Amino acid sequence: MEHNQQKQSPLKKTLDFIFALITNNPIYKSIFRVGYPNTLLKRMAVMRSSFYMHIFPTKVGEHGLKLRYSWCMGGITFFLFLLLTLTGILLMFYYVPEEHRAFQDMKDLRFMVPFGVILRNMHRWAAHGMVLAVMLHMMRVFYTGSYKAPRQMNWVVGVFLLLLTLLLSFTGYLLPWDQLGFWAVTVGTNMASATPLMGYEGPFHELLGVQIDNDIRFAIIGGTRIGANALVRAYVWHCVGLPLIATLLMVLHFWRIRKDGFSGPL
Amino acid sequence: MQEEVRSDKSGYMLMNKPGYPRVSSWPNLVWIILLMMLFLTVLLWGVSFLAYAPLEEMAEWAKTPNPAKAPWYFIGLQELLVYFDPWIAGVMLPQQILIGLMLIPYVDITPTEQGNYDFRRRRFAVAYFTFGILFWFALIVVGQLLRGPSWQVYWPIIDYDLGGNTWTREGVPLKEGGAELKSFPLGVGLALLIGFSTIGMVLPLIVTRMFPKSEKVKELDKYLKELGYIRYFIVQSHVLMMVGTLGKIVLRLGFNVKYIIETPWFKI
Repeated sequence: MEHNQQKQSPLKKTLDFIFALITNNPIYKSIFRVGYPNTLLKRMAVMRSSFYMHIFPTKVGEHGLKLRYSWCMGGITFFLFLLLTLTGILLMFYYVPEEHRAFQDMKDLRFMVPFGVILRNMHRWAAHGMVLAVMLHMMRVFYTGSYKAPRQMNWVVGVFLLLLTLLLSFTGYLLPWDQLGFWAVTVGTNMASATPLMGYEGPFHELLGVQIDNDIRFAIIGGTRIGANALVRAYVWHCVGLPLIATLLMVLHFWRIRKDGFSGPL
Repeated sequence: MQEEVRSDKSGYMLMNKPGYPRVSSWPNLVWIILLMMLFLTVLLWGVSFLAYAPLEEMAEWAKTPNPAKAPWYFIGLQELLVYFDPWIAGVMLPQQILIGLMLIPYVDITPTEQGNYDFRRRRFAVAYFTFGILFWFALIVVGQLLRGPSWQVYWPIIDYDLGGNTWTREGVPLKEGGAELKSFPLGVGLALLIGFSTIGMVLPLIVTRMFPKSEKVKELDKYLKELGYIRYFIVQSHVLMMVGTLGKIVLRLGFNVKYIIETPWFKI
C-alpha cells in the first residue's frame, strides 16, 4: 500500500507492466484460479484452491519452517521419489529385464544412449539418497517426539514406507544383472531361506515338509537360485508393485499429517 | 474438533492456539520447497557428472566374488551373520526391529514432550533409540568398509583387489577366524540365557526395592506404575534383545563363544 505513494523507477514500471501482461489475461486466469497471491487473503486462497498446493496447510507455525527443526528430510525423500519415478520411467525405455539382454542394455545406456550415463547415475545416486533421507527423516521425527498423539498411526505408516524404500532399492539392485547386484541379491534372499518353519535352512522346516523348491525363498525369487524368473520378478516389483503400494501409503501419510497437524510445542 | 483430540492428557498444542506465531505458507513455506528442489536437482546432476553408478562384470553364477556383500543398508544384518545364525541375523532381528519401531508411539507415555529437541523428560527413550541407531550404523561401517575376502577384517585403504579376487566355488565355506570357537554346554547356555532374561526383566523391581528412599527411584517407580505391565514387557524385551545382541558380539570376539545354546534344531 505504501509503495504506491513512492516514486517508481522506470525498471519497476517495466516489470509491473510485464507482470500485468502475464497475470492479467484470460489464459492465466483460467489456469490459476486465484490471481497472483499478493495479499494475505489471496495467499490463503492460493494454497486452498490449487491442486498442487492443497497438500500444504495455508498457515504454518514459524518454528516448523526452520531447517534446524525439520531438516527438510520428509520433503527431500518425496522429491527424490519423484525424481526416481521420472528417471526410472526413462530408463524403462532402454531396458529389458531378460537374462541375456539386461546387462547389454546397461552397456548401451553407458555408451550408446544419449545422456544415458547421466540418467542411470542420477537414478542410482538418488536411490541411495532416498534410503539415507528416509532414515534421517525417521530420526528427526523421533527426536522431536512427533510420533506422539495424535500422530501414532502415521509413524507406523512411516515405518512401512521405510521398509518399502529399502525393498525398492533392493529390487533395483538386481536389475543391472552385474556381479555386484547379482551376488548382493543372492546374499540378501538367502536370508529368507533361514526363516523358521518356512525356509529350507531355517529351524523346524522339516515339520512343514519345506525344501529348497517349495520354501519362502523359492516363492520370492521364483527358482532355487537367482535367474531369469528372479529378474522379471524384481523388475515388476521394482517398477509396478512396490511404487504403487508406496504411492498409496504416501498419500495416506501426507493426508494424515495434514489432518493430525504438524508437531509443535505444547 | 482438533482441540477435542488434544484436550486429553496431552493438553492443548500451543501451535494451534490463536496468537501462536504462524505465517502464511505462501511464500514462506513454498519458497523453501522450491529452493530445496532446485538445490537437490543441481546437486544430483553434479554428483552424477562426477561419479559413475557402479557396474561390474556380467552376472555369472559360477563366479562367486569374495566377499559377496549385500547393499549397504542391509550390510549391518550381514555383519551380524558373524555372530548369529541366519535365522536370527536375517529374519528375527530385522523383524523385531520393525515391530519395535512400529510400537514406539504406543509404549511411549510422555505425550507432552513433542515439537522440540528437548530431551530432559525423555532421556531413556532418546538414549535407547540413539544407541540402536549407532549400533545399526556401526555394523554398516564395519561390514561395508572393514570386511574383505572371507569376511576378514581389512583396513579400508588396503585395496585387496590388487591381490586378485579369489573366486570360491559355490558351497565352499568362508574361512573361519583364527581362534577355535567353542559353544557353551546346553545347561550352562540355558541357565545363562534364562538368567539374563529374568534378571533383565526384574531389574527395575530390584532397583526400586534396594533404594526405596532415593528421589530418582521414586520417580522411576511412579513412571513404571504408569507404564503398566504390558508396555513395560514390550519395552524391556526389546531393550534386552539389543543388549543381548551386543552381549553375544562381546562373547564371540572376546571369548571365542560360537553358540550360547546349541541344539540339533536351532542354535543361538
